[in-house]
Amino acid sequence: MVKTNREKLLEIGVIGAITHPAIDARYVNNWDGKPSVGLGQGGIVYNIKPGDSCFDWAWGEKVEPGVSVDGIGNDRAKGSFRNFTCVGNKARVVKGEAKGKEGVVVGKVGGLPDRKHHVVVYFEEDVLEMLSIGDKIQVRSAGIGLRFTEHPSIRSIGVSPELLDSMGFKELNSRLGVPVTTVIPADFVGMGSGGAPVESSCWNVMTQSPDALEHLKDVKIGDIVALKDILSSWGRGYYENAYTIGVVSTGASGKLGQGISVTSLMTCKEGEIEPILVPDANIGKYFKLGGA
Amino acid sequence: MLRDNREKLLKIAVQGEIVSPSSTSYRAQWDGQPKLALGMGGIKYNLKVGDPCFGWASGDHVEPGVTIRGTEKDSPSDCALAWLACIGNEAKLVSGEAKGEKGVFTGRHAGSDDLVWFQRETIEKLTIGDKVQIKSYGAGLKLLEYPDIRLNKMSPRLLDALGVEEKDGKLVVPVVKEVPGYLMGSGIGWSTDTEPVDYDIQTTDHKQVKKFNLESLRLGDIVCLWDQLCINGRGHWKGAVTVGVIVHGASDYSGHGPGVNPIMSTKDGRLEVKVVEKANIADYFGLK
Repeated sequence: MVKTNREKLLEIGVIGAITHPAIDARYVNNWDGKPSVGLGQGGIVYNIKPGDSCFDWAWGEKVEPGVSVDGIGNDRAKGSFRNFTCVGNKARVVKGEAKGKEGVVVGKVGGLPDRKHHVVVYFEEDVLEMLSIGDKIQVRSAGIGLRFTEHPSIRSIGVSPELLDSMGFKELNSRLGVPVTTVIPADFVGMGSGGAPVESSCWNVMTQSPDALEHLKDVKIGDIVALKDILSSWGRGYYENAYTIGVVSTGASGKLGQGISVTSLMTCKEGEIEPILVPDANIGKYFKLGGA
Repeated sequence: MLRDNREKLLKIAVQGEIVSPSSTSYRAQWDGQPKLALGMGGIKYNLKVGDPCFGWASGDHVEPGVTIRGTEKDSPSDCALAWLACIGNEAKLVSGEAKGEKGVFTGRHAGSDDLVWFQRETIEKLTIGDKVQIKSYGAGLKLLEYPDIRLNKMSPRLLDALGVEEKDGKLVVPVVKEVPGYLMGSGIGWSTDTEPVDYDIQTTDHKQVKKFNLESLRLGDIVCLWDQLCINGRGHWKGAVTVGVIVHGASDYSGHGPGVNPIMSTKDGRLEVKVVEKANIADYFGLK
C-alpha cells in the first residue's frame, strides 16, 4: 500500500456547464496541406468511451470520450474548475433532465476555440441520452496537493483518491512502479510544451510522422501511458531521465505538432517512477466504465 | 545558380507600433523558483542581433533591438505584419523624432511580437508608440528547382546572404548548430500556420544545454533542427530538416528557450547543412 497524505486533501465542489462542439472556423489545415472538417471535440460525443481506439474516426480530430464541460462564472471560477478537477473525481448533474446522475472525470484537455481548456466527463449511455448542451455539472474535486510520503521527489499533479486505489502502484525499493500500456519517447511529444499550470490542459503526442504512428497504433483512449524524458513539475518541458505519467484523454490529430491528448497525473525528474508495462492499464477498466 | 521566382513577388507595406516592455508578476521557472522576467517588448538600448542568447541579468526570451506589433486587428498574430514581414526586409520609421530613418526586420516572436534592428543613433530617438513600416517582400518566394523546400519569412536578401550551395541535387546551408528535434518546445503544434509563429529550443535541462553547447548561441544565428517539419505548422517528422533563425534568447521556464523562425523546411531529403563557426544575420546584413 503506497503511503500518501490523502487524509489531508481538501475536497471542493467546482461547477461547469456542457460546452458546444468545437469546430475550426474554417477547414482544418492538416499536416499534408489537405483540408478536413475536424469533429469530436467539445459538446456531447455519444459513441466514444475509454477503451476505444485513438485513430481512424471519420474526420475525427482529437475525439473526446463523452461530455466536454468547462467552468462557468468569471475567469477565476473557470480556472478553479479546470485546475482542481482530477481524473477519477465524481461529477454530478446539478441542472438539467439528468439532475442527480453521476459520471466520472476522464480527462482534462485544451482545444476549444481560443485554446480554452476543458474537462471531459464520462456518463453511462442512458444518462447521455438525457443531457443537453448547457446542463450544469458539479465535480467533487479532490487530489490536488497529494504527496507520496515515501517518494518526496515524485510530484503528483492530479492523482485523485479514486485513481490512487485503482492504478496498481507497486513499491520497488526506492522507486514507485506505475502500470502503463506504452512508454512514449520525447521525440513524439509536442504541443503542451511550455504550458503552465500543469494542473490544467494536457500534453499532445504527435500523430503525423510514420514512426510515431507505428509506435502508437495500439494506444487506446483511457490508457495510462508514460512520457519518457518529459517533466511536468512547474510547467511542461524536456528533462532527460524524467517521466510524466498521464491518461490518454482524446484521439489523434491531423494537425502537425498535435495529437493524442495526455492529461498529466504525476511526474519525476530523475527516474523515481518506473513504468511497468501492463496491456490493459486503462481507466475504463479501473473505473468499470461502459461494461469494462 | 539557384533560380527563384523573386521577380513575381509582391512588395507590400505592413505596419506596427513600438510596444511597451511586457512585465507580469513573478512566475515559477522550471525548478519552482520564482522569476521576474526582463527583455520582452519595448526598446532594448543595449541588446542587438549578434549578441548572446544566454546570461542577461533576469533576462528571459530577450529580444534584440526594438519590438513592434501590428494593431489593425485584435490579435497581433492576425495582423499583416505578422504574416508578411520577412527577415531582411527594410523597415522605416514613419512617425516620431526619427521619422524617415531605416532599419531591418530581424524576425518574429509570437505574442511579443515583431523585431526590428535600428542603428544606435536611431534607437536613442525612439519613443514607445512610434510607427514602423516594413516593405514586406518574400512571402510566396519559391526555389524553382526545389519546390519541396518550403521557404518561410525568407526575403530575397536573406536567401542571397545565406551562402547556400548546390551539391548532388541537394541544397547545403551553413548553420552554427544542429539541434535534435526532441528539444523543440513551446510553439510546437500551436497552430497550423507557419508564418506568424516561432518555437523554442528548450534550455531548462542543463545537461542538454551542455551536451549541445547551446550557451554559445547568438541572437540571429542560423541553426538546423533535425526531425522537424515546418510546413503547415510545426512538429516531428522523422528525417525532416528545418533551417531557422534565432529570434529571441534563452529561458528558465519549462519548455522554453531561444525562439526559432523557420526559413527552410522539407521532409524529402534535399536539404542539408554544414556546421560553420559563424552564420548570423547580423554579419550577413552588416548590423552593428
